[in-house]
Amino acid sequence: MGMSRTNLIALLIFGAILGYLLSLGPDTTRKFKAGVYQLLAPFLTSGSGLKKQITSVRTGLKSLEQLEHENAALEVENRALRATNESLRDAEQEVNRLRHALNYRERSVFKLIAAEVVTRDSSTWWRTVTINRGRSDGIETDMPVVTDVGLVGKTTTVSDSISVVLLVSDENCKIAASVEGSREQGIVSGERVTTGLNPLLNLNFLSKQADLKAGQRVYTSGMGGVFPSGLLLGVVKNFRVRELDGQAQLTPAVDLSHLEDVFVVTGRK
Amino acid sequence: MIFFFFLLVFVLIAQIAEFFIPALPWLYNAHIYIVPAIVFYGAMALPFPLMLALAFYAGLLLDALTVQVIGGKVEVSIGSSILLYGVLAGIMHGLRPLFARGRWEVHCILSGICTSLIVLAQYLMITFRRGSLIFNREIWWQIGVPGLIAMAMAPILFWFLQWMGRITGYSYLPERDQFE
Repeated sequence: MGMSRTNLIALLIFGAILGYLLSLGPDTTRKFKAGVYQLLAPFLTSGSGLKKQITSVRTGLKSLEQLEHENAALEVENRALRATNESLRDAEQEVNRLRHALNYRERSVFKLIAAEVVTRDSSTWWRTVTINRGRSDGIETDMPVVTDVGLVGKTTTVSDSISVVLLVSDENCKIAASVEGSREQGIVSGERVTTGLNPLLNLNFLSKQADLKAGQRVYTSGMGGVFPSGLLLGVVKNFRVRELDGQAQLTPAVDLSHLEDVFVVTGRK
Repeated sequence: MIFFFFLLVFVLIAQIAEFFIPALPWLYNAHIYIVPAIVFYGAMALPFPLMLALAFYAGLLLDALTVQVIGGKVEVSIGSSILLYGVLAGIMHGLRPLFARGRWEVHCILSGICTSLIVLAQYLMITFRRGSLIFNREIWWQIGVPGLIAMAMAPILFWFLQWMGRITGYSYLPERDQFE
């Protein structure tokens, strides 16, 4: 059975457009990506809100279940009271968190734009998050993203109202780093495959004599131009000597599995 | 035609939903993918040109949302997922007679295998770019589990889509006698 004329034409058109797309350069690819993200921005941000609501309802149900066991006699009254209490506690935590973030922004030496994490990575091989700030807020490609604790990553794709942040735990996010209390410098990057919620970082290209101790802090060194110096990356977990260099494993300073509010560094004050 | 547009919308919804489905930490951080199974259903239910259009659309969406441009380099070119979807959906399309004879299990199993093949192909492409080919247990889990989940999900998804096809009055659904 031969291929019909319609099928053949469809296949040729498919192949031609595919060939064109495969030949796109990095700038066009980035613009195309930003365009698609911009189109989907309303769905991603509203989806994020919906997810938060569902999570909060689930948390509420859990506490109701616990209450039922604790006090059967005052079940109805207790349920209402505790649910109210719970929501107030949530609100208090939210206020504390935002106050903390605001304080950090005020005392920071950097110009910061506050952003909220909208979605997490949807693919197996890349570690990214999406934030609800974009070009219209003054964000550009390759801007560092931090929390009050330390470095989170850098922006890669920026559309008008939404941006993609490559996390420090991604193998492709390479950061020049220096170790507290030593002259050692190296390059921090994530691992290709991670299994835990909070993956470790690798500090490569150290000297074999580095002999770093667990607990030593590692900061950005400012080399390379993207990340300013002095941002905390993580804490040394262990050190090993390899054939050509020394390598340390770091526990990331920021809990990357529970990112909610972040700041994009747009410059110095 | 309504059914084709329904599939396009469903692919978009599924692609957005994948952003909000967390990885499974108890299964080596494996991800859940819904879109491939929808595309593979489309490969059986749609005529060849529309099957290509669906594969193109789903691949373009996947590339636009996942591919990273870092330091002026594109890791995986836009179009690579279109090619993958196109080839795999083409294979599934060739097996339409089996689906029409009611042998759904073949396509459910193939949907799982093809989903894993997509994840594997992505891994090979980034490995080609980054160097150092690593294959450990974690990687096999992260490639295999999405396929197993897709395999388990496929019967329900296929049943739902078949039902939607009937509701929308879609006339091209494969009929048993067409192939006998």
